[in-house]
Amino acid sequence: MDLDNEELLEEGGSRLTFPGETLTSSQAYMRGHGTYVDNEEVIASVAGTIERVNKLVTVRAIRTRYNPEVGDLVVGRITEVVQPRRWKVDANSRQDAVLMLSSVNLPGGVQRRKLESDELQMRNFFEEGDLLVAEVQAFFSDGAMSLHTRSLKYGKLRNGQLVAVPPILVRRLKSHFLTLPCGVDLILGLNGYIWVSKHVKESEQEGEEGFDAEAVYSNQNDDIDESTRTAISRVTNIIRVLSSHFIPMSDMLLLEAYEWTVDQEGNAKDLLQEDFGEALIASINTR
Amino acid sequence: MASTSISKAEKSYIQAGFLSSPPLRADGRALHDFRSVALETGVAPLANGSARLSIGANAHDGGGGTEVLAATKLEVENVEEDGCDGGRIVCTVTCSPAAYPQLSSNALDDLQYDMTVILHQTLSHPSLHPNNLGILPKKKSWLLNLDIVVLADAGNIYDAIFMAARAALWDTKVPKTRSVEYKVRKGNSGGVVGGKTGSSGDMDVDEETTSGFDTRQIQQATDFELTDYWDEGEVLDGRERWPISITLNLPPPTHFLDATLPEESAVPLKALLVYSFPPSESPNVQAMRILGSGELTVVLLKDLVKEGEKYARELFIALNSKLKEEDIRRNQKARERFARR
Repeated sequence: MDLDNEELLEEGGSRLTFPGETLTSSQAYMRGHGTYVDNEEVIASVAGTIERVNKLVTVRAIRTRYNPEVGDLVVGRITEVVQPRRWKVDANSRQDAVLMLSSVNLPGGVQRRKLESDELQMRNFFEEGDLLVAEVQAFFSDGAMSLHTRSLKYGKLRNGQLVAVPPILVRRLKSHFLTLPCGVDLILGLNGYIWVSKHVKESEQEGEEGFDAEAVYSNQNDDIDESTRTAISRVTNIIRVLSSHFIPMSDMLLLEAYEWTVDQEGNAKDLLQEDFGEALIASINTR
Repeated sequence: MASTSISKAEKSYIQAGFLSSPPLRADGRALHDFRSVALETGVAPLANGSARLSIGANAHDGGGGTEVLAATKLEVENVEEDGCDGGRIVCTVTCSPAAYPQLSSNALDDLQYDMTVILHQTLSHPSLHPNNLGILPKKKSWLLNLDIVVLADAGNIYDAIFMAARAALWDTKVPKTRSVEYKVRKGNSGGVVGGKTGSSGDMDVDEETTSGFDTRQIQQATDFELTDYWDEGEVLDGRERWPISITLNLPPPTHFLDATLPEESAVPLKALLVYSFPPSESPNVQAMRILGSGELTVVLLKDLVKEGEKYARELFIALNSKLKEEDIRRNQKARERFARR
């Protein structure tokens, strides 16, 4: 194919390619990530979408670790508390992310100076293994991302469980905080980590009267009743099935899938069976 | 082995699930449900027996489960040097670093040493020893190497290792051998029976007179040869006896089976029980280990042994029917397909 054709490499357009496919001439274009040059031709080295910025041709791989961008919402896990004044966070990226003590909200709610005493009790806020939701704030010179949790929506996660999917399956949505009518809240991290938890009542959400500012760094779960627990398991298993079939997540899709499984009167564990999963995918595709 | 660190909130979420009534697990299973187990035998063409086993792999794309590869290889050994009469079994477990990316190489060595010890001590026990590993009494025998590779760990690794080991041993074929003897020929000339004859009269051989009082059984066989046979050999003797393990994870009042990684880190104490079900005999407990931190009372342990036998028997029956199915697939059906061509 003649890829010197401008239309194929149109800016903003996306076309799929596969490893070994010749993309263009190396004399007219520069090779970027995911490509190599052989015989004066730019050739794709991964399967993914072709992207072009001016004369730079790159291929964005389909199966890859998370590529952070500023403003992305991510779910991460603390791997290390390091001095001075920072945490290391696993966010499914190539390098661990960094969360500075200066970019978290401290208890008390109000803006206040970070004291030396805060520095000494960093493990009271986040300790190793803790899950948190945060936003990508900036990048360091080595490409590692810096996170912040300076919003009441962000912070430590509890009352639920984590499920991981390939990052490409989580697309940018208007809001990454979803609420399903079955009493389940979802946080779709753009890094492919999805937090499935018990619904927080309207009146207890941030900024409302019932919001408990002291519980922001709590490790205690609320009481979760049986039906909520079952719903959380069911949603988790649906996400696993969708991800094994490589179907991107969206609130509509998850809702449809949830309704379908309830109609089938199956248990949450039935979704682990192959035929039940296939039937779910078939029913989603026909709608 | 609680390798993945999880947060306190996740831990208490999982623990609260076990204690609620009815108990609910994170993926919706009941306490005593296994994830789906997939098994294939004969995966390594150069091995004498092999199997690949996965627990809880995703049905559609086959990812994200515990995955174990087992293979046996027979080796001829001199009994005088380092073997022992009647053959021996050596088990080794290797963990792929990709299965435990969070572990340092030293920690990985420790882990695979622990697994090797448990597997080797259990399988090389005399009560399980197959009778057909000898070649020539007091001279040569087979050394059975059982190698296990852990390719991925998504929880319940010990059950996977023992099941894969049982499948590979079930699949093992021991080559048929025939002993070769050097005999002095009647009539003064030395020669070899079964090998080359000739070179007669070169040696002075004393006339052999057999005494009527000599009741010693002197083994004369000195070497062996492989018989030319259409099959790869005969199956290991007593292959019904090979044990399987069941891991009981113990959140204080109850127990559950087939833990996932987060469940393993939330419930560190577990009891590993290994049972063998010889045909027409009562089942034996072949090994018992308490893993992780915590303690157990003897009374509780007695109950667990009883309960564990029930689960192990179910698992054993399911595994056996799958192994027989695999035998049919690989022998009978393959032969039919070959005949049709």
